[in-house]
Amino acid sequence: HLLTSYSTLKSKRTINTTAMNQTDCPEVKVPFLVFFTVGIISLAENLLVVVAVIRSRNLHSPMYCFMCSLAAFNTIASVTKTWENLMIVLADAGHLEKRGPSETDLDDVMDSLLCMSFVGSKSSFLAIAVDRYITIFHALRYHNIMTMKRTGVILGLIWTLCAVLAVLMVKFFDFKFIVICFTVFFIISLATICFLYIYMFMMARIHARNIAALLGGGRDRSQHQRRWGSNMRGALTLTILFGAFVVCWAPFFVHLIIIVVCPMNPYCECYRSLFELHVVLMMSHALIDPAIYAFRMAELRHTFRKMLFCSGWKLCL
Amino acid sequence: MSDFHNRSQLVSTRRSDYVWQYEYYDDEEPVSFDGLKAHRYSIVIGFWVGLAVFVIFMFFVLTLLTKTGAPHQENPDLAEKRHRPEGRLVDINGHQEENEKAFSRPLLDGSPSYFNFYISEEDQAHKKRKLEDKRSSTKDKVGRHLCSSEIEEMHEDIEESGGHQPLNGLIEESKTDRECAFLSHFNIPNFVNLDHSSTLGEDDLLYEPSMILERQSQAHNAHCDTY
Repeated sequence: HLLTSYSTLKSKRTINTTAMNQTDCPEVKVPFLVFFTVGIISLAENLLVVVAVIRSRNLHSPMYCFMCSLAAFNTIASVTKTWENLMIVLADAGHLEKRGPSETDLDDVMDSLLCMSFVGSKSSFLAIAVDRYITIFHALRYHNIMTMKRTGVILGLIWTLCAVLAVLMVKFFDFKFIVICFTVFFIISLATICFLYIYMFMMARIHARNIAALLGGGRDRSQHQRRWGSNMRGALTLTILFGAFVVCWAPFFVHLIIIVVCPMNPYCECYRSLFELHVVLMMSHALIDPAIYAFRMAELRHTFRKMLFCSGWKLCL
Repeated sequence: MSDFHNRSQLVSTRRSDYVWQYEYYDDEEPVSFDGLKAHRYSIVIGFWVGLAVFVIFMFFVLTLLTKTGAPHQENPDLAEKRHRPEGRLVDINGHQEENEKAFSRPLLDGSPSYFNFYISEEDQAHKKRKLEDKRSSTKDKVGRHLCSSEIEEMHEDIEESGGHQPLNGLIEESKTDRECAFLSHFNIPNFVNLDHSSTLGEDDLLYEPSMILERQSQAHNAHCDTY
């Protein structure tokens, strides 16, 4: 319930609201429709990914399982956020009693789910990065290292850990501890993923040059051009991957840090007034995640096309 | 943990009435906005500017990694090979021992040096191709199809791991032949199961460099067939 207490997380207003100072930082309000739209679209996308991976047998490989897990966590996050916003709207309209026992319980449940989905999506990113690392650097032993059984074990561990952590966090620990834990986890996962991808990128570039040098073959100019172009594309892809992650998650985390560090400072207050924008950014990460990870895979797109445009399930197997 | 304070003066301007307090968030002393030296949104602006700088810096670092030289200097032998596309097969076979000495590692070493593995396998693949030119092309193609499907899966995995457009080129140029030969030679059962997951022709990006190798190998096959 602490995480959903928009009042405390949002900005604190000055006491005389009748005379609004020019120096006051008004809270930026995002219309409910925006939340709702983002939530519904991200729910649809991620659910599509989950269903596609589960239904289609040829997507039962470790890579796709991790993406499915990521999409499942994003689904949970978008459902929870949308539901929460719906409840707030209903509460504002007076249909729900805010302090009733069922509402607080529901609030607790939603907070647990949010914590769970946050930790889960970060763990899934980490798992995907490690899987890609193994794919590249231990390519031939990949099928021995990353069997489906081990994938199942890893996913089970991730889900159990997230569930336990979520329940513990919401029930037993105080806000400051949660903030510190989340921030540390965020920074660690960001650093690890960053390191893994940049290492992969560098090694791949070096190897590409050397292999191309070995193959040679009188196509120097065009080959150099093509390689430079593809390297640029690789750099752009990596930037998008990290940029989206950082841009979507960092504002919210800075918000949490600011609450802990400088609750009374007017500058911090002005930052906190943008809370709803930061929440929308966070939700939109669940929206763009499938676009960056799942939809870029040809196999998955192929499966989607079969699923969406086929008239009958039996015909399209 | 949850105390309720009736912040009536704030309720009318707020969307939500949820009020939960924690000890260090003092409600009785509101934030005063008087006497601000800098702009009130300075933290916000500073944060976003910092974030933008970070992302752009990351992009430039990555492109710089792209442009600056590789640690391995090219062999003069390799450089010479480049000018003889027709005799390339022979040259590679000729230099095979050198390369193996320079770069060879045990095949299933699992060493992080991907490059070493590729070089030795590349040579073996080419050697096989030359020695077994009587081998049926159908079998090659089937094997390549199966291998390609497996490689496709890996390619997709790798393509999406960010900076692997170069690795696509790498894989397409070397693995298609080399690993197919390797796989069929070592008869790894796992790779055979994925033939139904083949997405050949699905994605141009993956196939653009591979067409070149396909053409080259066809040229080599034609070349061998003329003997």
